[in-house]
Amino acid sequence: MSTLELGEVVKRYEGGGETVNAVDGVSLSVAPGEFVALYGPSGSGKTTLLMMAATIKRPDAGSITFGGRELASLTKRESARFRRETVGIVFQSFHLMQGASALDNASLKLFALNMRLGEAHDMARPWLERLGLGHRLNHKPSEMSMGERQRVSIARALANKPRLLLADEPTGNLDSRRSREVLGLLSEICAEENIPAVLVTHDPQATAFVTRVHTLRDGTLSDGLDLDLHTSMPG
Amino acid sequence: MKWARRVSFNPTVLGMGVQGLYAIYRERWRYYRALELMAGAGIAIGVSLVFGVLVANSSILGSTREAIDAVNGTASLQLVARSPHGFDQGLTQRVAELPGVQTAAPILRESAVIEGPHGRMLGQLVGVSPRIVGLQGSATKDLGAGAQLLQGGVGLPAGVANTIGAHTEGKARLLVNGIAHVVQVRAALDAGAIGSLAASRVIVALLGPAQTLAGEPGRVTQILVKAYPGKDRQVEAGLRRLAAGQLNIEPANHELELAQTALKPTNQSTSLFAAISLMVGFLLALNAILLTVPDRRLEVAELREQGYDSRQVIAVLGSQALVLGIAASLAGVLLGSILAHTIFDEVPNYLATAFPITGHQQVSLLAVLVAMSCGVLATLVASMWPILDLRKSREIDAVLQEPGEPGQSIGDDIALNAALLGVVILVLATLMVLVNSGLMILGGVALAFAAPCFVPILFRAATGVLCHIARNYHGKMVAIATIELEATATRSVALASITALAIYGSIAVGGARTDLIGGIDKGISQEWNTAAVWVTPDQNIFDTDSFRVPGVTATIASVPGIASVTAHQGAFLDVGTERLWIRAAPPGNASMILSSELRQGDLARGRALMAQDGWAAVSSGFAGEEGLHVGSPFTLPTPSGPTRFNVAAITTNIGWPPGTITLNTRDYSHYWQTTDPTTLAVDLKPGTTPAAGVRAIRRALGGTSPLRVQTSAERIAEVKIIGRQGLSVLGDISNLLLLISALALAAALSTTIYQRRGRLASLKAQGFDRLQLWRGVLIESAVVLSIGCLDGAILGLYGHALADRYLRVSTSFPAPFSVGPVQVILTLAIVLGISLAVLAVPGYSAAGVPPELSFQE
Repeated sequence: MSTLELGEVVKRYEGGGETVNAVDGVSLSVAPGEFVALYGPSGSGKTTLLMMAATIKRPDAGSITFGGRELASLTKRESARFRRETVGIVFQSFHLMQGASALDNASLKLFALNMRLGEAHDMARPWLERLGLGHRLNHKPSEMSMGERQRVSIARALANKPRLLLADEPTGNLDSRRSREVLGLLSEICAEENIPAVLVTHDPQATAFVTRVHTLRDGTLSDGLDLDLHTSMPG
Repeated sequence: MKWARRVSFNPTVLGMGVQGLYAIYRERWRYYRALELMAGAGIAIGVSLVFGVLVANSSILGSTREAIDAVNGTASLQLVARSPHGFDQGLTQRVAELPGVQTAAPILRESAVIEGPHGRMLGQLVGVSPRIVGLQGSATKDLGAGAQLLQGGVGLPAGVANTIGAHTEGKARLLVNGIAHVVQVRAALDAGAIGSLAASRVIVALLGPAQTLAGEPGRVTQILVKAYPGKDRQVEAGLRRLAAGQLNIEPANHELELAQTALKPTNQSTSLFAAISLMVGFLLALNAILLTVPDRRLEVAELREQGYDSRQVIAVLGSQALVLGIAASLAGVLLGSILAHTIFDEVPNYLATAFPITGHQQVSLLAVLVAMSCGVLATLVASMWPILDLRKSREIDAVLQEPGEPGQSIGDDIALNAALLGVVILVLATLMVLVNSGLMILGGVALAFAAPCFVPILFRAATGVLCHIARNYHGKMVAIATIELEATATRSVALASITALAIYGSIAVGGARTDLIGGIDKGISQEWNTAAVWVTPDQNIFDTDSFRVPGVTATIASVPGIASVTAHQGAFLDVGTERLWIRAAPPGNASMILSSELRQGDLARGRALMAQDGWAAVSSGFAGEEGLHVGSPFTLPTPSGPTRFNVAAITTNIGWPPGTITLNTRDYSHYWQTTDPTTLAVDLKPGTTPAAGVRAIRRALGGTSPLRVQTSAERIAEVKIIGRQGLSVLGDISNLLLLISALALAAALSTTIYQRRGRLASLKAQGFDRLQLWRGVLIESAVVLSIGCLDGAILGLYGHALADRYLRVSTSFPAPFSVGPVQVILTLAIVLGISLAVLAVPGYSAAGVPPELSFQE
């Protein structure tokens, strides 16, 4: 089993004549079976950090390794392969195909692995059933609630049996009961499959489901939940 | 997807299994069905223009080839008369007796008009003998049995019989060489009997009766010759001896070559218009699919987030483009086919008098393939636009970070580079045409490419101006419209590009056509205004059909109020690959050379020279091919043998594309061995009005005379109509382009309105009412359409000027450039009128979108 390692990672954005350090020298290690939360307000750089771990963005400095393999130096094709074979990503805004059924959406990544449709469906269906969507397999996103859409997105992330799970505000659009269910499920899967998982959230309650919490503020990482930040955050 | 469980077939393309590709496109189709259908409609409309134009550009020649082959069969050579009066039929036997000749079939051909209860039609009377069966042509193979059938009457192709309302064993009136006959219709001949000639305008009779009807007893105009294998050279030498320099010896299918040459200038003009239209069609299809690019870019970004690599993304985009492109292109070919059958299925009368052309529509596989390829290529090129996001320097989710709607942003660098590219194309197109006007077709295509290049920078400028207005002068809807325009830049630029292309094509093609018609009309008016009244045989168009009515000149001259009657003569003469129009006017007559026709030489001196024997005015195309200048000598193969003339002046082609040579009637009568006139020009005494003169002449000729008596105004009106028939394809293309452009704009506007619903809902949720939103939609659309109109009108006028130059230099057609503000305004009004009509109603409907829509993903 592999560990995700981030070492002194920096990511800058330029705009309006200014340079902003979205991520500023972050180091982090997530071992197999660990479910780590990155807590922080909007704009703190936590999604950027997650995107770099997913090889969607490249760091400007520092290193990101998974199982000892440097991710920052992957070619585009290698990073695509890394995402489709190794990573499962859950997006806050789901990124579901609007015309596709729950089953097809959950199978999307498997199509890129050249599976026949029947095989892909066979792999994705158990996850949807486990996530309580066994009766909604043929429904489209527009026919589902936000919570159901998020569960489809989670099923899609898990369908390829990922070795690294990354979740970006997976409960951002859910009510508290559904949030607890989803977080419990992610935690369970992480432990069951013995894979490292990173959760980006600004919901302090989410920290109850994780093995470790870090707070990200202005691009810098600190250990634990920053309660000052929590009390100053709206809502 | 039950089939998928059963099917194990899953070949891989660029790292993607076809089942996966199918699943992804199926989902796209489900969600973006309306958008895909609209884009498909745009592609289909573009392809229909391409296909319709290709068919229009090829059908006449293809059908002529079929008709000639159907008669000629296995004949390899022919002996052809140089005069419509033909030569002695007795020569047929001498040809048949030449060593190596297997079959010699005499034919008589004369222009004629056939009249039935429901109408009349111009065509050719063709007299054949049963010998022609020996040539085994598809049209004549059954003549052995048919000879009995035709005995004493005529056979008509089924199409002609239908048009004029003639039926078997009924009567019809045949007008030929100035004489009217009532003939028995023996048969309505369908394709089963005469092959492709069934769609032609031939009036078939046995040779003897045909000679009687034409008033040419014992004469034929052509002998088709079939030689024994390997004996062609020997037979040709024998024919040359028999011809004695007074007849032409040509390959049997020579007429096809003549038709090709006759059609060449018209085809050149058509090709120019067609090329511009093809490119406009291609770019319309391209832009239709460009409207869907933002959605495709989003789809690509999301697939890449899921781990799809570049090859797989290309496979997804490519497969989607292929499916949409092929389906839409098929629909486009069907639509184009309908357009071609309804709009282009017309044979110009003036060509029907000179060649056995048919109205048979030719839809070649090549035209289908080219049109399909254009549609699929346009779809592929535009659909693959998102692969630019695969560049190494671009982050995977870059499209999601762009300002405005994802995928809609157009950067300053793109706008500037596109404009620079446009300038380069413009300069290259100009240089090409100036250096070699023959490259105008390429130039016209290049200008079509340049038109969309200027749209992004014009768009930037327009939004800048709007921003200024919103800030300093006007209320919120201008500000909202500006923001919306900037947020949907790709869509707006694509829409403005479609407008620009529509306007460019319509103005360039329509303007050049108007100038061409103006030039030809001016010449026609000047020519037929040289006398007050004209007397012609019914079918005479180009002064090539003579008539033999004894005493007619004296009869007319004796009518009170008539000052003088002068005879004009003329005929077609085959010289090399040209079927030239030889026209002759009385020495010193003003119509010998007209100022509107003069290209080189002095008008007065030219007329003076032509009053002398041995001088002629030649058209510039013929002069160019023969290397002639004013004063140069040249030789014409007249019916009396090779005859030497000198060039008195160089003229336009006077409306007959292969070329024209003008002589005085003294020379013509001498060398063509006939005094038969083709037209009588009548001058009136002072105090006699043209109408009174016409009435008096008609009374003198008698009510049943087949000769037509017309005032100059009537004659001019008729000839103008006939002259325009030759340009009918250009008119068809021009009209089609305008219609298609309006349809393409309507499809594009519908697409954009559909795409806007989400944003309109969002504005509604923020408190804007329906009327405000509608106003905003109209302001935005007006800005976008205006950008397109400005760009298209400027480039259209430029293209129009270049096209005129091409028409003058390369085709010898008179085409003086005129801006034609009415034409420009009319084009803009039609395109904008249709667009705004399309926009107003659905725009209002779209503005009524429920605000809840903004809360749905």
